[in-house]
Amino acid sequence: MNVSHLRLRSQVVKYIRQFFDEQDFLEVHTPRLVGKPGQEPYLEPFWTKVIEPNGKSHPAALITSPEYMCKRILSAGVDKLYDLGPCFRNNEPFDGTHDPEFLMLEWYRSEAKLTDIMDDTERMIAFVAKKLGNSRFNTPFRRLTVEQAWKDYAEIDLAPLLEDRQAMARICLARNQSVALDDSWDDLFFKIFLSEIEPKIGREQPTFLCRYPKSMASLARLSSEDTRWADRVELYIDELEIANGFAELSDETEQRIRFEEEKKIRKTLGKNTWPIDERYLSALSGLKKAVGIAFGVDRLVMLLSGAASINEVLPASARERFDERF
Amino acid sequence: MATPSDIKKGIVLRENGELWVVTEFQHVNPGKGAAFVRCRVKNAKTGKTLEKTIKMSESIDVVEVEYRNMQYLYHDATGYTFMDRDTYEQVTMSDDDVSDQAKFLKEGLELMISTHEGKPIALQLPRKMTFKVIETMPAVKGDTASGNVTKEAKTDGGFIIHVPIFISEGEDVIVNTDTAEYVERA
Repeated sequence: MNVSHLRLRSQVVKYIRQFFDEQDFLEVHTPRLVGKPGQEPYLEPFWTKVIEPNGKSHPAALITSPEYMCKRILSAGVDKLYDLGPCFRNNEPFDGTHDPEFLMLEWYRSEAKLTDIMDDTERMIAFVAKKLGNSRFNTPFRRLTVEQAWKDYAEIDLAPLLEDRQAMARICLARNQSVALDDSWDDLFFKIFLSEIEPKIGREQPTFLCRYPKSMASLARLSSEDTRWADRVELYIDELEIANGFAELSDETEQRIRFEEEKKIRKTLGKNTWPIDERYLSALSGLKKAVGIAFGVDRLVMLLSGAASINEVLPASARERFDERF
Repeated sequence: MATPSDIKKGIVLRENGELWVVTEFQHVNPGKGAAFVRCRVKNAKTGKTLEKTIKMSESIDVVEVEYRNMQYLYHDATGYTFMDRDTYEQVTMSDDDVSDQAKFLKEGLELMISTHEGKPIALQLPRKMTFKVIETMPAVKGDTASGNVTKEAKTDGGFIIHVPIFISEGEDVIVNTDTAEYVERA
């Protein structure tokens, strides 16, 4: 246990709250235990049951992100809000950058653009670092589109490959990546991206990677200038992925289609599915050009403390908590 | 067929007739994407290295290698020479092939070497090895107040590791050869 890292962690959390409070963001405390968690194909909620005294039992899960409830509150008429609390994801590796329980910060703004949330992120990190007397982050951070990153680091022109699985498969083979029959376009994208591009992003300077192919949009709006891309952003610092943000989709019909697609992917992967959160869907029309971002606080603490592993900024590692052999 | 969860350092993958030795690997879950294993692999024939990313649900072809008991003899311009402890046959691996693991080699060290069709492919060092600290700063009273304080120490293997503040010169320490990190006092 590293007490000095725990002290630093406590300060980081206080300064994050101070940053948002001073700008009149409302701190909301959304439920950790819900009936219908996010249904992203590659995130696994922890499931349990809520039992009433009369024995009536309801399926319940720990949230993988507070996103749904945050957006319902936005839709109910709050313009700026943040949520800071633990989130839970099963099936994540015990690899020094993940823990099944981690501290997540999410914040949202109405009537805003993706660049506003990037500005917030940059200013918040600079604010916290300055309060701690840490000068390691130079602002402004670099802003790079996914398309440009492919050009710069892999010398591949990504735009003509969009939605063309065959062309993407040829690129993978030419670069010694395997191509499995059931690999989707996204899977092939990641084989190149994770091998040749991601390891180089954020190394010299914190970098926002933005404008993702629309198949990776999830809850993001498609870009208004070019609908082949979605208004989504990820922040990389050193080798860590720190944050993932969207211009929030507010089209109920489109969201329903994407949820059904995600459900289908879960079924193909042999995973369980559950009903779509209808309250979330009907709240979407109340979103006024909202943008939001999810931010990994443990990872920021790692960067600020120089800790090599997430385990050093937690009171006890996942191994220690769950693995009998330790 | 094996799955990517079987991947570890030193295993050999066959793809399109070529053999690739895994020298490093890491599990990655990109945001909103499937789970992958990112490996650094080295072509067993040409020595070319590259990054390869494999989806967790894929099947992979792991080549059976022969593990031979070897003893490290010496290093010269041709590389590192080892002797098979059963057949007394000598094999040499180039500096590039041994790369980072070279620092752990001590004359007479007994280790395993994986071979494929008689050709040495990768070293399997003992997971924990003992080294002597030959140079480090003396501990100062009060240094331990803030928790996990470490300092640099040079070992008789010539490499530097981080050790707890209470370790002094001349002490033997156990080093994890996978991570090149201090484990405990010997």
